[in-house]
Amino acid sequence: MSTRVKGRPELYTAYAQDMAFLNTRSKQVGVLVVVIAAAVLPLTVSDDLLKILGTGLVLAIGAIGLNLLTGFAGQVSLGHAFFVAVGAYTASAIAGDPDGRALGLGITFVPVWIIGAGLVAALAGAIVAPLATRLRGLYLAVVTLGLVIIGGYAFTEWKDLSGGAQVGRDAPKPVVLGADLTIDGAYTQEQKLYWLFLVVLVICAIFARNIARSKIGRAFAAVRDRDVAAGVMGVELSKYKLIAFVLSSFYAGVCGSLLFVANGHFGPERFSGGHGLLLSVQFIAMILIGGVATVSGSIMGALLIALLPRIASELPSFLPFITTAANEHPNIFEIEVATYGLLIIVFLLFEPRGLFGIWHRVRTYWKSFPFSY
Amino acid sequence: MRRTILRATAAMAATALVLTGCGRGGGDDEDGATAPGVTKEPCPDAVDQDKGCIYLGTISDLTGGFKAVGVPLTAGGKAFWQHVNENGGIGDYEVDVTKYVKDNKYDPETHAQVFSEIKGDVFAIAQSLGTVATETMLKDNDSKDLVVIPATLGSNWYFEDRVLEIGTSYCGEAMNAVDYGVDELGAKKVAAVHFPGDYGDDAAVGAKIAAEKRGATFTDIPTGPGADQQAAAVQAVMKSQADVVVVATGPLELAAVVGGAVKSGFKGKFIGSIPTWNAALLDSPAGPAIEASYLWATSFPLWDTDSEGFKAMREANGNQPPNAYFALGWSGGYIMKTALEKAVDDGDLTRAGLLKAATSMTSVDSEGMLPEGSGNYAGDANEAAVRVTQLAAPKKGSGSGVTESVDFFTGPTLKDYDFKEACYLQK
Repeated sequence: MSTRVKGRPELYTAYAQDMAFLNTRSKQVGVLVVVIAAAVLPLTVSDDLLKILGTGLVLAIGAIGLNLLTGFAGQVSLGHAFFVAVGAYTASAIAGDPDGRALGLGITFVPVWIIGAGLVAALAGAIVAPLATRLRGLYLAVVTLGLVIIGGYAFTEWKDLSGGAQVGRDAPKPVVLGADLTIDGAYTQEQKLYWLFLVVLVICAIFARNIARSKIGRAFAAVRDRDVAAGVMGVELSKYKLIAFVLSSFYAGVCGSLLFVANGHFGPERFSGGHGLLLSVQFIAMILIGGVATVSGSIMGALLIALLPRIASELPSFLPFITTAANEHPNIFEIEVATYGLLIIVFLLFEPRGLFGIWHRVRTYWKSFPFSY
Repeated sequence: MRRTILRATAAMAATALVLTGCGRGGGDDEDGATAPGVTKEPCPDAVDQDKGCIYLGTISDLTGGFKAVGVPLTAGGKAFWQHVNENGGIGDYEVDVTKYVKDNKYDPETHAQVFSEIKGDVFAIAQSLGTVATETMLKDNDSKDLVVIPATLGSNWYFEDRVLEIGTSYCGEAMNAVDYGVDELGAKKVAAVHFPGDYGDDAAVGAKIAAEKRGATFTDIPTGPGADQQAAAVQAVMKSQADVVVVATGPLELAAVVGGAVKSGFKGKFIGSIPTWNAALLDSPAGPAIEASYLWATSFPLWDTDSEGFKAMREANGNQPPNAYFALGWSGGYIMKTALEKAVDDGDLTRAGLLKAATSMTSVDSEGMLPEGSGNYAGDANEAAVRVTQLAAPKKGSGSGVTESVDFFTGPTLKDYDFKEACYLQK
């Protein structure tokens, strides 16, 4: 074990140092600052924004999961929404009211239904994983898309579980230490839920980062870069593809278990037809916009995608000549829909390396300051 | 390096203190207001600048799959409150429904999100479209005393105090339709073509209950959205040999089913729920078939009705084509108006005060725009339920494309029906 050399933060004298959880001092400080800032944010931001940010944090869990599969292990999946749905329904069924209209076991202890949702989704992932050993690239993407279609149909028809089309069922109630987080107290429901989501996200992010820097993570990278070469090097392809799917689905399940907690009610439309496909595509967009094969990028991307509708709805108010009456055209609601699409195009056109790319440029600039050019 | 960390920690602590010091504004009472959305300041487009303003929110589908419903409903509501304001407002207040109009894109999460954006600024919700979406909104901790006028007619709202349902439910309407079929058309076989969920299932369950009670056979024909997806439904209608078919779909599906069935030799009658009708259907290829074998079941008086309310509404509509949803948006306003007036009279213009006023209402003066029995929210579900239906026949050139065919009636099934839970939940 070697020690660090003072004043030379990037001088590594041991492999373990290079592979450390946060390998530079600035990363350590940076992460600490971000986490603390995120933790005190609810004290300053209004509830409606917190609600969006809270959703963003939950989506970030799912995005990290997809990034493990697609970004780290190179397996493109359009089926992520299916695993999110499995998680959402598992959690709702575990925590649901046993005497209620929809299936419920009445186990309200929060970690049970979060982890339970993750495990059932992971099991679904394990069943799907063998496909990935036979297919790759776009073929895998199209096949996983089939999952969304099958799932959308199954959940809509399985009324005891989902409540049925256009009716829906209640989401699990987050009762932590006897306190229902959806009821305003000293802090509002939005604040309390945000903190709950933040805690779960931080745990998930640390776990993901640890996977990425372990033997499994290195195997993922080898499979991604060239699976045949990885196989030749002794990486067992079917095993690691299975692990990638299982881990990714676990994250999706956890994401699903929390996704509707704030709203308390959800219908199967969320996962069927166009909506299910859109959710899958949004997850892809999160990791592309955020940054492929980075945990921090997944979080940034998820927050941006969650905020995008709000940004799109604020922008038209800068165009005072556009009417707010919905029966005249063009009105701000129509402009809002167009703006949403436009933002995605503009972003990928001008920032193809994602939010992580912007961060990377900023970092490089200051690293070589004042000689940055 | 250690110094950097120290400095960073200090900076962080300072930032944290500043951030927490800022506070979040919160829902503090401003300028003597009694509740969120009630101000002493006049409305943005006030008629009388000396009056205060009550802001009502509208969360509707303005760009999604049901915008053909949501947009005219919103316009009707706006016209109604403009009319109220021009005629003296509510006590010392005028009412604004234009500042907080939000698009839910028919998505419950968007609905909950936009509600949380306006929940501190609105007194009540003048229009909320979508059943799951509305239920999601009502789960919010800040909607405990929120009064809502729904833009859906499911029988579920009988069981929710905060939601002031209008008109006969889809379920009740279907019961009346079947009773009419049995009594007047001698129907022995009944079928229901319907969407799944709060709307279609509600009507289908109503039709089934009535058919069973009247000794007719019942065939359930669920179908999905899409005019090109109705071949199986048409086939099922033909196979059922039904004399009366209750339809609870959208206008496009109605045209496909009626057009297809009549072409295949169907001889019975189609009776459609409120959302099945659109005057533009008369100009579609299925127009003649619809004119020949379709009746529109509605509990609301028709566009050409001669009453004070309708006159004012037609005037407000100007030379726009008649639209049943515009009329609905207008007539729903009377319920909210009565509740607001009662809350003002009680001197309790808070959300809880409004809810109390609303749930003690027993009738409403709707200037002839709401059906008999409307506005009774004081009792239980069975007292609240409006039970009348009229049947209208499509006719080219008349007001909204329909003309009265069967005057308001209540069939024997609905007359004594005991609402214990929402019909669609019995599916």
